[in-house]
Amino acid sequence: MIDFARVQKELQECSREKDTSGIKVSPKSDNLARLTGIIPGPLGTPYEGGSFEIDITLPDGYPFEPPKMKFVTKVWHPNISSQSGAICLDILKDQWSPALTLKTALLSVQALLSAPEPDDPQDAVVAQQYLREYQTFVGTARYWTESFAKASSLGLEEKVQRLVEMGFAVGLVRSTLEAVGGDENLALEKLLSS
Amino acid sequence: MEDSTSGGEEDYYYSSDRESLDGLENEDSDFQWAPSKGPTTKVITKESLLAAQREDLRRVMDMLSLREHHARTLLIHYRWDVEKLLAVLVEKGKADLFAEAGVSVVECEDTGSPLLSSSTAMCDICMEELPGDTMTKMACGHRFCNDCWTEHFVVKINEGQSRRIRCMAHKCNAICDEAVVRSLVGKKHPDLAEKFDRFLLESYIEDNRMVKWCPSTPHCGNAIRVEDDEFCEVECSCGLQFCFSCLSEAHSPCSCMMWELWTKKCRDESETVNWITVHTKPCPKCHKPVEKNGGCNLVSCICGQAFCWLCGGATGRDHTWSRIAGHSCGRYKEDREKKTERAKRDLYRYMHYHNRYKAHTDSFKLESKLKETILEKVSISEERESRLRDFSWVTNGLYRLFRSRRVLSYSYPFAFYMFGEELFKDEMTNDEREIKQHLFEDQQQQLEANVEKLSMFLEEPFDQYTDDKVMEIRMQVINLSVIIDTLCKKMYECIENDLLGSLQCNTHNIAPYKSKGIEKASELAVCWNNKASTTADTCFPSDCGTSGKHDRPISLGSADDNGCPSQKRPKKETYGGAFFDLNLPAEVLDRN
Ligand SMILES: [Zn+2]
Ligand SMILES: [Zn+2]
Ligand SMILES: [Zn+2]
Ligand SMILES: [Zn+2]
Ligand SMILES: [Zn+2]
Ligand SMILES: [Zn+2]
Ligand SMILES: [Zn+2]
Repeated sequence: MIDFARVQKELQECSREKDTSGIKVSPKSDNLARLTGIIPGPLGTPYEGGSFEIDITLPDGYPFEPPKMKFVTKVWHPNISSQSGAICLDILKDQWSPALTLKTALLSVQALLSAPEPDDPQDAVVAQQYLREYQTFVGTARYWTESFAKASSLGLEEKVQRLVEMGFAVGLVRSTLEAVGGDENLALEKLLSS
Repeated sequence: MEDSTSGGEEDYYYSSDRESLDGLENEDSDFQWAPSKGPTTKVITKESLLAAQREDLRRVMDMLSLREHHARTLLIHYRWDVEKLLAVLVEKGKADLFAEAGVSVVECEDTGSPLLSSSTAMCDICMEELPGDTMTKMACGHRFCNDCWTEHFVVKINEGQSRRIRCMAHKCNAICDEAVVRSLVGKKHPDLAEKFDRFLLESYIEDNRMVKWCPSTPHCGNAIRVEDDEFCEVECSCGLQFCFSCLSEAHSPCSCMMWELWTKKCRDESETVNWITVHTKPCPKCHKPVEKNGGCNLVSCICGQAFCWLCGGATGRDHTWSRIAGHSCGRYKEDREKKTERAKRDLYRYMHYHNRYKAHTDSFKLESKLKETILEKVSISEERESRLRDFSWVTNGLYRLFRSRRVLSYSYPFAFYMFGEELFKDEMTNDEREIKQHLFEDQQQQLEANVEKLSMFLEEPFDQYTDDKVMEIRMQVINLSVIIDTLCKKMYECIENDLLGSLQCNTHNIAPYKSKGIEKASELAVCWNNKASTTADTCFPSDCGTSGKHDRPISLGSADDNGCPSQKRPKKETYGGAFFDLNLPAEVLDRN
């Protein structure tokens, strides 16, 4: 059985500290076994400015068994699957300790965003890029943050839409936008000159 | 036949052959069976498992002046390898040795005991403020409430990780004190506490490279411990002989990998399937498989249809040297024929080795049946008025025959892989391979010839012969036994040094040749247990409240109490079909 009394306390503590930590945890419904976590992208990383949603499921044995966490927001990171959002982090597996909490676990996930471990990759493609073409990696990660992890990223689809209406192919529009970091005018210039 | 009758008969033969061996005085044969030293492999039964574990525990406890549960945690971490543990101690020192294994030896008084009930403290797991007497502090200094500890232990035991339960604190590497685990879990879930104890006990087998469960089915409940060589063959007290390394039947001089490949190959019907594809083709009209009966490529089916062997197409019935009437087959290709030829060659090669392997295995089975007849001849001869009183040469010769038959039969799958292309294609040049193969086959043939001779002499009706003729046969049998023993030894040496020894890959190891046959593991003395457990009791700390637990009978996981006694039962010739007592003479001598 999940220790719901503890989960309640954890939630209270999180809401008390959310201004300092920036980390939010809220139940998905009445059922405390499904929760949503939000972590801000760490400063000085390609994830800066982004706000990342994480899906949390508590197993029956919580807190004696680790919570299950995965990214809902798409993110470009060697230890996070760009497809499924699965996270490769030791404390969510065999290094879990019942003394850890949802907040500390989310802080560890945030720390993972700052310090990727490409030698223990979850996403091999991203890890390869991180090791071989670091600048491309940073560009892509930043673009993904812009596109998926920002409130303004809603605007991205509109930009795509507008450029497509001007007669450019969707794929080309997306890749051009990605290359210029999401700037619509730069993208248009590039599209026209190519 | 009823079981009871057959059992009685066997007992009769058993005692009669024992009598004959008890009267063993013959110096010619005596030297072969004199025990050099006691077996180093041990049978560990349900009863002696604790004693076996304690032996190692005691060494570590004495050496490092540790309590039992700390010694156990250390030994589980180092997989019961006391030498390895000592090496780490010498190299890195006590502190590192303990830290790596998660042992915290802090002699603080309140370890494992509740606080005063007056004070309260916060449990960081359930986040409740609780009275101190409901909390427990582990040796590492971390304190949580009893309910949380219990829940943590339960989850770990159910996960099967109970041999090393880590502290709940984040990044604390300490292993929880087994006495605390036992007492807290026992209060709520006695069944799980028992499971925990069993896991700890069985760790000595499960986590130990030198100890393995006997692979008998139904399981005899025993485990076997070897001394320093994992590559050996051993006999459990239940009578099963097996390869300690791979747990299948004893198979030397085959390596474990060769034996695995060979049994798979023999099982696979692919060989037969291959045979059918090489030797038959379906008729284009009625689809029955048709066998080719000569060199000619025009074949005809019993339904009357003629067809071309090369392409399988229907043809007319006439043919010349160069073509078949009504058919021009452009699909004949050399590589096609080569492929067929190759499959055929591989198959013939396999059949060559398999036939010989099988022939010796069959002889072995036949001779095992003959054993009773031959032993009967011995007792008849012993009754006779004669100057020959001692017939131990017959039994000795018989066991030499059994042992060498085994060696011979397993030498064929060995040769199949050693000189084939499957395993060592790039290890030798063709010339090298040929030279080595000749060398080996010479030895094999010599051994084979002598084994057959020995078999022949032992089958002679010596109970009807005159004393002189019996003396002559006796000389032959004794001579052949010695020669065969030497040849077997040489063959193993050749395999170890010249054949396997010269390979780049050293993944092939064989059990050493034992003149006396497969070593029968001796039972670990249980009497030691009583002495040890009393001494252990006295040094048990008071917080290990269940120190008397080993006095309970311990039932092991996979062992079933289906009437397989762990004490030695009288050997029956029929035990397990192919397996029977190859060591009887030596063993009987050992007992005397
Ligand atoms: Zn608690
Ligand atoms: Zn601790
Ligand atoms: Zn056994
Ligand atoms: Zn083996
Ligand atoms: Zn036909
Ligand atoms: Zn013909
Ligand atoms: Zn044809």
